[in-house]
Order: sequence, then C-alpha cells, then structure tokens
Amino acid sequence: MPELKEINKKLEEIYHKIKAEIPWEPIGHTPMPEIADLRNWDMKLLQTYKPWYAPFCDLCCFCTYGKCDLTEDRRGGCGIDIATQQGRWMLLFCLMGASAHTSHAAHILEVLIEKHGPDKKINLGTSVDVEAPNIRTVLGLKPETLGDLKIAIEYIYKEIAHLLDSTAFGQEGNPLDFESKALHAGMLDHVGMEVADIAQIVGLNYPTSVANTPLVDLGWNSVDKTKPIICFIGHNPATSSVVIDYLQENNLYDQVEVCGICCTALETTRYSDKAKVIGPYSRQLFYVRSGIADVIMTDEQCIRTDMPIEATKAGSALIATLDKVMYGLEDATEMNTDEIIKKMVEEKKHFAILEPKKAAEVAVKVAMAIAPQRRKEWLTEQEAQELSKKCSLCGMCETACPNLFDIGQGVSEVAKGNYEVIRELFNYCIGCGKCEEECPRDIPILKIMQVGASKETYKVRAGRGPIMDTEIRTVGAPITLGTIPGVVALVGCSAYPDIRDLAEIVDEFARRKYIVVVSGCTAMAVGMWKDADGKTIYEKYPPEFDAGGVVNVGSCVANSHISGAAIKIANIFAALPLRANYEVMADYVLNRVGACGVAWGVYSQKASAIATGFNRLGVPVVFGPHSSKYRRLYLSRKEEDEWKVMDARKKQIVETGEPSPEHLAYVCETKEKAMVMIPKLCIRKNDTPQGRAIKLNHYISLYKKYMGGGLPEDLPLYVRRDADIPLVYKKEVKAYLTQIGWKPKEPVGLPTLIGTYPTKVPVDSVIH
Amino acid sequence: MSQLAPLMPFHRVNILTGTRTARLVEDPAEYAKQITKAQRPLLVLGPRLTKITLGGRLLIEYALDIAKAKNIPTCATATVKSKMVELGVNPDSVYDIVEIINALKDPNWKGVRKEGNHDLVMFFGVRTDLGEQGLSVLKHFAPHLKTMTLCKYFYPHADFSLPNYRKDEQWKAFLEGLIEHLKKE
Repeated sequence: MPELKEINKKLEEIYHKIKAEIPWEPIGHTPMPEIADLRNWDMKLLQTYKPWYAPFCDLCCFCTYGKCDLTEDRRGGCGIDIATQQGRWMLLFCLMGASAHTSHAAHILEVLIEKHGPDKKINLGTSVDVEAPNIRTVLGLKPETLGDLKIAIEYIYKEIAHLLDSTAFGQEGNPLDFESKALHAGMLDHVGMEVADIAQIVGLNYPTSVANTPLVDLGWNSVDKTKPIICFIGHNPATSSVVIDYLQENNLYDQVEVCGICCTALETTRYSDKAKVIGPYSRQLFYVRSGIADVIMTDEQCIRTDMPIEATKAGSALIATLDKVMYGLEDATEMNTDEIIKKMVEEKKHFAILEPKKAAEVAVKVAMAIAPQRRKEWLTEQEAQELSKKCSLCGMCETACPNLFDIGQGVSEVAKGNYEVIRELFNYCIGCGKCEEECPRDIPILKIMQVGASKETYKVRAGRGPIMDTEIRTVGAPITLGTIPGVVALVGCSAYPDIRDLAEIVDEFARRKYIVVVSGCTAMAVGMWKDADGKTIYEKYPPEFDAGGVVNVGSCVANSHISGAAIKIANIFAALPLRANYEVMADYVLNRVGACGVAWGVYSQKASAIATGFNRLGVPVVFGPHSSKYRRLYLSRKEEDEWKVMDARKKQIVETGEPSPEHLAYVCETKEKAMVMIPKLCIRKNDTPQGRAIKLNHYISLYKKYMGGGLPEDLPLYVRRDADIPLVYKKEVKAYLTQIGWKPKEPVGLPTLIGTYPTKVPVDSVIH
Repeated sequence: MSQLAPLMPFHRVNILTGTRTARLVEDPAEYAKQITKAQRPLLVLGPRLTKITLGGRLLIEYALDIAKAKNIPTCATATVKSKMVELGVNPDSVYDIVEIINALKDPNWKGVRKEGNHDLVMFFGVRTDLGEQGLSVLKHFAPHLKTMTLCKYFYPHADFSLPNYRKDEQWKAFLEGLIEHLKKE
C-alpha cells in the first residue's frame, strides 16, 4: 500500500509542523488543507450560491493562441469557455489579494523577528486567549511565538504556488473548480492577514485587549502645515514605526508632522496616537498634488504607480521603502546617508532605501531641510476660479469618469464663483485623475477640487486588533439566538459610489443595535462625517463589540479579526473545537452567526480576496454597484433552489424553504437597497422566535423606510411560526400571510449542512 | 442582428472588449417594431428613473407610458417600487437588478407573469457600469432572449441600443416617438 504510506508520511509531516503533540484541542479532519481538502464544502456552497458571471471582457489574451473570442459558447484555443475564464480571473484576483497580505505578513514578521528574536511570545493581553482563530482553524497550529507564525507563512506560500499553477495554460477547466480554488485562496488570505496583524501587535506593541483605543485626528486639516511633513502611503508599518522611533529618540517628534494615507496611516496611529490620518486611498492623488507633504514615503499596496512623477510635480521628496515597489529608482540602501540627503535636497532626486533606519533618518533630515523653502498652502477659491475659466463644458471628463459623474459641471460652476457643486461632487470622486487626463484644455481638475475638500478635522478610533474573548462570551448567545440582530462588517476600500454612504450605513445599523465593525479605508471614511451635534460615528457610539457598538479593528489585515470573531463564537461560546476543523466552523457561521460583510466602495483585488474568504466561512458580503466589474457574484434563486439542512439533533434532512442567508456575494445598486438587503442577510436558520422577530422587525422597518411602504415580497419565506412575527407589525403581517395562504413550519433544532454532502466530518461534531 | 463594428460607449468604463456589439438604433419606429414583435417583453426599471427629469417629467413617467402602451410587464429594481407606488402604479415584479438577470438566464424560468421566460428585455435607468455588466451576463449566458436599452448612452453588450445622445431633446424625442409608435402598432 504505497499510497497509504505516502498519505501517512504527509500527515506525519503536517502533524510535526502543527506540533500535534501539544494536546490543546483534538485535531480535526483538515490540518493544513490542500486544494482538494475542502472542495466538497465549497461545492456544497456553490450548489446553492451559484456563480453569476458578468464577463468584463469577451476575449482571452493569456497566451499566443489568442486573442481568443469566448463570446457565448465559443471556446479558446486551449478549450476554455467564457464561464471558466471568469472563474480563472476570480482565482487570480484572490491570489493577488492573498499574496499582497501574506507577503506583507512575511516582511513585517521578518523585520520583527530580526528585532525581537523568533522566541518572542505571542501575548495579546489578558482578554484574548484564542489569539489566532484563523491559524488555529485552518492549520491546526496554536502559535506561541513570532517564529511559529513562519509556519503559517510557509504553508500559505506553498498553497499559493499550487493555486497559481492551476491558472496556467492547459490546467484547470471547470468554473466551479476555479471557484473552489478562489475560495481556498480567500481562506488563505485571512490566515495571512492574521499573521500580519498578530506580528504587528506583538512586535510593535499595538493596543490589544482594549476597546477604548485613542481617538486620533483625521482629515486634510489635521496636519500642521507649518511643520515639516512626512506622509506615508501604503499598508506596511515597518518603516513608519521606525521613523517615529527616530523622531522620539532625537527629540524631534514635536517638530515634525507624521501622517499617512491608506492603511499605513491606520497602522501608524496604532503605534503613536500623535500620527494623523489624511484619509483613504481616494484622497491620495489630491493630497499628493497639493504638495503639502515634504517627504512621501511609500511601502506597499494601493500606492499610485506614478508616484515619482506626481511627487516631482508637487515638489515633494520621495522614498520608496520596500522592494515590491521601487519605481525604477536608484537603490540607495548601501549609499552614504549624507550623500543621499544632499542629492535629495539639492538635486531633488528620489531614492529607494530598503533599510528602515536609514530611510527614517533620511526622511526626517530631508523634510526638515526642504520644508522651510516650500509653499504649502491649499489652493484659494480665487485661484481655483481663475484655473476653471478655461472649461468649455465639452463633457470629455464625464466620459472618462469610472464613477460616472459630471465633474465638468462642478468646474464650470467654480468659474462662476459657485463652489457648492464641487463640494458636493468631491464626495463622489474616487481620485483616479482620469478626467484631467482627458481634458483637451489641460485644466488641473484635481487641483481645482481642493476647494471642494472639507477642511474640517475629524476623528477616527485607532484600530484595536482582535475582538476580546470576554466580549465573545457576552455576545455569543444573543448573536446566535438572534436577539442581537446581526454583526455588520463594513470592510475594505471606500471609493465608490459616494463616500458618505458608509457613515450613513454605520449610523443606521448601530442605532438599531447591530454590532458594527469597520476596517481599512472604510474605517477612515466613516469618520469623515459629523452629526448635528458635531460628533463623528466614533464619538457617537461606544467602541465595544456589543449591541450598538462601532468597532474599528484596524487596517486591511485586521479584517482577519472579523472572521476570527465569527470563529471564536463557535469555539468560545459554543465550545466547538476549532483545531483543523474548518468545515465545522464555517458550517456554524453559515447557519448560526448572523453576520453580513459590506464591501461597499471597494476597487482592489485584495478586497475580492477578503470577501471570498468571508464567503467560504459562511459570511455573505454586499458590494456596491461598480463591483459587478469583479465579474462574479454568488447568488441563489430563493424560490427555485433547495434549502435543505440536516437537523443535527434528529439526524434528519429537512427542507426548510428558508433562504438564509439568501446570497453569498451580492451587488446592490443603491445605498437604500443595501439598507434593506443587509438585515435580510443577517437572518439565520438558528434564530429563536424572539431573535427572528427582532430581525424581521428591522427587515420590515427598513423595507418600509426605503421601499415606500408595504411588506417585503419574500417575507413569508422567513416567518416560520406566529412567534416569529414582530409585535409592532403583527396585524399587518398576519393579514398578509392569511391572504396568501401561508402555512407555519417547524424551526430546525440544530441546522447544519454537515451530513448533506460527502464529508469526513460526522454530524455529531456540530453538537455542542 | 448585432453588428461587428465597435462603437464607443459614452462612459468609457464600458468600452467593448469583444467582437459582438449592439445594433445602434435611432428610429423609434424600429424599436417599436421589435417590441411589438416580441411575445413576452419585459421592462426592467432602474433607480435612475426616479432621479432624472426630461422635459419636466421624471423618466419613470416615460417608462410607465411605454409599459402601458403595450401592456408590458415591469420589474422594479432597487427602490423604484417606492416611486411607482407613489405614482399609483404597482410593478408586476420586484427584483434587484442582479436577481432579475439571474432569473432571465434560466430559459425555463416562468417569467414575471408566469407565462414563460421573456424573449425581449428592455433596460431603463440602471447605472451604466452595472447595466453593461448585466447585459454582458445576458449576452453570454442567455442566448434565448434579446436585450434592448432605453438610456441615452450606447451600450455595447445589448442587442439593441440607442446612440450617445448629445442633447437631451434628441432622447426625449426618441422616447416620445417610441410611445406614439407603440400606441399605433
């Protein structure tokens, strides 16, 4: 039996890597799962939530057999069809995202192991014992030191190589298998993100085991222009933390402003609450073109790829600090520090400097040298008016706008001295600069738009890292029973379609006592709004992971704490073992944890990886309208599909007829429609009558608010018995149900998909 | 039916990246003929209809006139139902845009009036990027039906599309002409 021997040997190796001899929990069926190990779970999901493909391109241009036209039922020279090609794209997107986060994790881990040694203990504070729910669940490893995290990185790298291999010419040929692989990549992404954030928390001493993290300044005007300014752009705090160390060690921190755009900004505020956040990615080009920053330091991810050109135009100095983004700049890592500074100050040269301490010293000295010579003022309204006068309203800018709005209208109004329109339009702007490129009169549209930007200072709560085990113990029961109506996680980028939507969504659900979690650029965007009392979302709502709380977990990589919280509900509250037990955890989340992701303004491949990882774990995600350009959604057809589950207590398969959650990846065209869809996607089969009544109360109430009255068309599908009907709508709902001949049905005692598809996991393993 | 020569859509994010593009139609009589020829047409209404006015009337009013002229069933997407109810009209169906497209993909779907899937689907008032992606779904995966757009932009993935109208008056004239022809046909 050589094959069995081979299998045993492989398992032995895995057991060695995950330290199986340490018996903190029994080991489940899928330690360090490979591509096919969770395929049956994926296929079960995809049977209900079928891929909805919207090809963005009808052609395939991946090899020299092409371009191949895949329109309708045509196949490419390799045999691929249009659906399979979309699955291939989705896998590639998820791999890009997982690679970006994992590579970030690997880099910061290397830096921090260099600083602290591999034996530095992982300690996330007194309130976090389950420190790495994703790593524990996926790998079966309980990481105790920074060095242990490398085991997770090596595992992800291996899987990514296999997955990428499957996208090459003449490999995978089925859309569902591509989707299963994309789901695998999404799951790996959450593991990679978790490694990154644990390493940062431990190695950089970020806040942990605390909810009430500092409120830090946010917005263009939060930065003192009279001081030298260093602006970080990207996602990796390896260098920004060293710059702060350098400033503190040299007693210069009061003399230099440190700020950031995108996730490095959030990371830096976790390191020092004196750091400022300019805003999300969509504000990057505006800010860079304003020339307010004396030194721009880039690291990785979501940085303009033309940064050297933009920095030169603005008169800012540029230092690229990571090998992933070097822009063709001279590598000055080995060069004498004084020589670099001289060239940057006198010759206005930009450099790549890959050694953080050297980069920090250069950045500070260059900023202090050039700041006094530079004009750092916002464009005045009079200057903007003058620049706008060339606009002929030709409309070319509108045709180039990915967010489909007419900036020309705003510019022409500025020419007349009216600034209201451009202030309004600024909220829609995703900051790509394509309008300016198209303008036949070379009007500096983005510069003019500076007059539309709010000059107020807002607040964002510094990212707090993982949800505490103590919080999970408090909310586990009300979430799974439904009496806390749901966890709404607004994640990722915040560009489309109107940046104000995000704060409104947070406000609506926090007010309704959902638990609201935010991360990444969205965490910044929701802070850029004040209520009538002048309070931001973070000042208006408590920071606890509890009903009505608004929790900022941190940057993009902190999204792993949201998936981690869902896993911890199954593990800590329901006491189900998580070790190498992915299917059981995902099944629990899908059927019992009323959580819904909202990736409203996203544009990056990383966002698609994050969302796909949530999907494999059983968390549905709502996207904004432009996200149809990702090419794929996971949709059910509620009335046509089967909604069978196993009742684990009775060991019986039951047709529930209840589409909960109805979809796994869904696009809403408007914020208002999303407001109606989110509460519906928080409904779970496990809801108690009291919990279901609360959830339906919100669903009906939001439907009435945004759909012009009446009752949701699909309401009967979610009412199991009279007790599910919310008291406030009892009369109306009962009359409607009677009219359509609705019949009550028994709720399922312990709903699970385990036992409804081929799996090694026994049904009893979901009973707690 | 469709033509090969690519035309530039108004919003360039929707640029055609394939070989089959929509047939551009400027004559309302030709649109009316296609609609009349269809056995089970469907009019899908997007949220922009409730925001944009043309000649002093909301676009949704033009849409309802078109539906009324030939008793065409309607599908209200997003929050369009709210405005329709306000105008005293109930939609024949309420689906979100991705849901109705998902249903239309299935040749065995019974349609909004349970009379069988639709053979001609008109889209009106959906954002161009989402609309174009939806039309791409139907172009590739719903060979059993034709698609038509009524917005003022060129939609490459549709079967029939209006041109990019430079002036709203041209669009208004087309829509009014279409309504007139439908009443006559």
